[in-house]
Amino acid sequence: MKNIFLILFASCFLTAAIGQVEKGSVLIKNGTVLTITKGNLDNTDVLVKDGKISQIGKNIAAPAGIKVIDATGLFVMPGIIDAHSHIGLDAINEGTNAITPEVWTADAINPFQISIYHALAGGTTTSHALHGSANTIGGQSQTIKHRYGTFDPEVMKMEGAPRTIKFALGENPTGHGRRDGLQPQSRMGVEFIIRQAFSEGKQYMEKWDTYNKNNLIKGFRGMPPAYSLRLETLADILKGKIIVHCHSYRADEINMVLKVFKEFGVKKLVFQHTNEGFKVAPEIAAAGAMASVFADWWQYKLEVYYSTAYNAAILVRNGVITSINSDSPDLIRHLYHEAGKTQKYGGLTDDEALSLITINPAKQLGIESRVGSLEVGKDGDFAIFKNHPLSIYGVPQYSIVDGIVRFDREKDPGDMRLLPDPKETIDVTFHDSDKYHDNCMQGVESLFGSDFNDRKN
Amino acid sequence: MNMRFRGTIIMVVFLLPSWLFAQDDKELAPVTRTYAITNVTIIQGPSRKIDMGTVVVKDGLITAVGKGASIPPEAIVIKADSMFIYAGFIDGLTRAGVTKPKDENKDKIKDPGNPPTDRAGINPQIDVRNFLNPSDKSLEEIRNLGFTVAQVVPYGNLFPGQAAIVFTGSRSADQMVVSSKSAMYSELSGANNVYPATILGVMAKWRDVYRQAVQAKTYEGLYASNRSGLERPAMDRTLEAFYPVIDQRLPVIFKSEKIVDVSRILTLKSDLGFSLIFADLKEGWPIINKIKSSGAKVFLSLDLPDEVKKDDKKDDKKDPKKEEAPKAKTSAQLEKDALDKRKGEAIANYTGQAAGFQKAGVLFGFSGMTAKSKDIPANLRRMIAAGLSEDAALAALTTNPAQLLGLSDRMGSIDNGKMANLVITDKTYFNEKAKIRYVFVDGVMYKMEVKEVKKTDATAKAEIEGSWSTVTQSPQGNSEAKLTFKKDGSSYTGTMSGGMLPAAVDLKDVNLDGTTLTFSYTLNFGGNTIKIDVEVNIDGDTLKGSSTAGTFGSFPTEGTKDPK
Repeated sequence: MKNIFLILFASCFLTAAIGQVEKGSVLIKNGTVLTITKGNLDNTDVLVKDGKISQIGKNIAAPAGIKVIDATGLFVMPGIIDAHSHIGLDAINEGTNAITPEVWTADAINPFQISIYHALAGGTTTSHALHGSANTIGGQSQTIKHRYGTFDPEVMKMEGAPRTIKFALGENPTGHGRRDGLQPQSRMGVEFIIRQAFSEGKQYMEKWDTYNKNNLIKGFRGMPPAYSLRLETLADILKGKIIVHCHSYRADEINMVLKVFKEFGVKKLVFQHTNEGFKVAPEIAAAGAMASVFADWWQYKLEVYYSTAYNAAILVRNGVITSINSDSPDLIRHLYHEAGKTQKYGGLTDDEALSLITINPAKQLGIESRVGSLEVGKDGDFAIFKNHPLSIYGVPQYSIVDGIVRFDREKDPGDMRLLPDPKETIDVTFHDSDKYHDNCMQGVESLFGSDFNDRKN
Repeated sequence: MNMRFRGTIIMVVFLLPSWLFAQDDKELAPVTRTYAITNVTIIQGPSRKIDMGTVVVKDGLITAVGKGASIPPEAIVIKADSMFIYAGFIDGLTRAGVTKPKDENKDKIKDPGNPPTDRAGINPQIDVRNFLNPSDKSLEEIRNLGFTVAQVVPYGNLFPGQAAIVFTGSRSADQMVVSSKSAMYSELSGANNVYPATILGVMAKWRDVYRQAVQAKTYEGLYASNRSGLERPAMDRTLEAFYPVIDQRLPVIFKSEKIVDVSRILTLKSDLGFSLIFADLKEGWPIINKIKSSGAKVFLSLDLPDEVKKDDKKDDKKDPKKEEAPKAKTSAQLEKDALDKRKGEAIANYTGQAAGFQKAGVLFGFSGMTAKSKDIPANLRRMIAAGLSEDAALAALTTNPAQLLGLSDRMGSIDNGKMANLVITDKTYFNEKAKIRYVFVDGVMYKMEVKEVKKTDATAKAEIEGSWSTVTQSPQGNSEAKLTFKKDGSSYTGTMSGGMLPAAVDLKDVNLDGTTLTFSYTLNFGGNTIKIDVEVNIDGDTLKGSSTAGTFGSFPTEGTKDPK
């Protein structure tokens, strides 16, 4: 045990000292490789060199000194991806204003949260650290890789992942408006807020375009438009530089967003929750938008009553790129179960079901060229299971990120904290099962009254 | 006194010029400003020692240092045989001597998303000099520890204002100031329920305001070069305060306790490019290289986590009869041992931070912003026990901060021509038994009252009989309660009132073991009864320890005995 600790912590300090993303090499021998995009390969090896998959095939010779994992009898799949999570963040909502696109969850990353390790223990290697849903236009969000062990928040960021941003419709942002006597207080108000923000962003963009154009003229002298990080970010959405992830439940509001986005020419759109997506699946597909859903959560607030566990399957069958997300530090540990539910409710094939937690969320985050399937050239991110991941007997054995084993079921000591609080005394009999509960509205629950705390997102 | 006469006096008092009136309050100036400290071991600086020398101070400056220094006839001579003299210490970041503005503006903000800039915490134009109070008790507290100069900052979040470097003693606020606008202060903390309320908003606002300032400054430059045909730039004191920061003439000093703070601050630095001082750093030990390569200046916190009390010994005491072979530990005990071990390692890491920075060759000073003054000497000794050399510790208190703050020409060592900021101790400063006898601040002598240590019998028990005033810190705030103990034969009984208790309650299991006092009581809380176990250490008329509320955690308890 002691040695395990030493090795683990030595590697942590190494990462911390370097301050750069650590990449590893590993040979995974003789597993059943579920590539997701190119079928299943029996008794196959996967070689990762310096964090990238360099070879997939039979009987690959182990390069000298490389770590070898014997996956005989095991299932090797791409690391699971969660398109909607709030783990690893010190703050989730800047809910004080209806429009806060200037904020960015990357600024709140906390690499010491144990929930990151818990996610790894469930095979999840990448997650979308989303801003919460307290306001209509929330903050920019950050795709993180679960490089648990690093002391550097920067290292958690998935380098090169596209910018994303959170929008929110319905009860959460309108509740916020009603609290302060501000807009939005209704779904109409939400639409207005989005239109207003886009219009202001457009004006800002045009003002700067004009100024920059004039500035090229020799001898031009003039005052530049006043800088605003908020408006600049809205302009970047209009320019297509940011993928919008829109918290939504009802079909009417989904239709509204499709219409408004079309009007402003914003194309990169993923619906989150999409509870009534099954009602408007053809419309979502036609707009080229995508959908991220829960497998079967429902009725935790009024707008989530008209629900079906067939939602994901209906969306998939209608050609919508669909993912299943956790929005929870608990569900993120067993997204493979959540994906499996679509086989019971909707009869999706194995590849379709696994796509919901691999290549599809990768597409929604714009990182499908890097992760989400096992192909040469992609990142060496894996979840290795004993028994098929969609089986109720599936148990994650290893989680590998960039060729580095970050979870190993055989070497899983009880205390995986990286940075214990020197002032905290933990009582061994203290088990706070309510600790992780409702992160989407973290930091603003008190503003909504106590009844809110029982609700889901 | 007849009424008319009294009236006249009142009139005269009101008519007197205010300066005359003010002078009445002041002590008389010393007859001379010349002092000679003789026969003293002079620690001029780290590794610079003169045995049995003399230091002459005149008009606020050091005018002679050495064995043969001649003593001016007007000098007050301090015979400091067997004593040690050091350069006055410098605190890199504190709020000692700074008055907290009364929260007068508590009006509810109509639109929390767009609060007035001052409520948002955007006050970089505010000068800490407006809040200096030379008679603030906190200033005396750090002066009594040997700190003669400190960099002080205003209260507030995000951009609280401009720092100043001040003496820890003086007659007026202005005279306190060694140099003003020494740095712009920032804290990555949010405003209270208004934008920016979280680290998300704080970081965004930092970038937004800074870039607005860059834009305003650029435009002002353009306007200044040729005003004709250009719209007049808007005046904005908030943005103007950033101009010297943008030019890197003024550093930004951040309260940066945690690793994530350091990382966020470095992100801002790389986004915006300003010169940077990390202050009150506590968790820097895992990222020393990152901090080193950033080129930022560093002040390490003088605050350390409390050491773990050794439970084992006490257990042995309680059960002296148990001498059978130790029983196999339960899984809960094993878990507790493992948790305690990690906590101990964590404490050791924080305590060893300074030694780590020394080893890595990073020049650093200290800051006391979040340290309790009375803990500072012990914390320094803990750092030294963890591997920090005494020379490095002294450098971090004297020469290093002088260098980091650009004050080396004036302070940090005992040399001719430097400011007379001095500390005189009866043993070497880092000796546990050392007492400070004199502190000179800007040439003014402060003599410390040295209480003779009462010779107490080591076996004597603490006396708890009587009434105590206690404070327990809990997440709900500080809870003040009265404790009363009575001796009942060989044991004690007690009651408790105040705090969260609607009525006085009897204490259970009151037990005094040497100086360790334990007792418990029950608290009714929302229909539930919670048993609170208290364990405190009695030290004369003070007690210190913790109250444990079952699974809700353990909270620090302190108290003093009420005078009879």
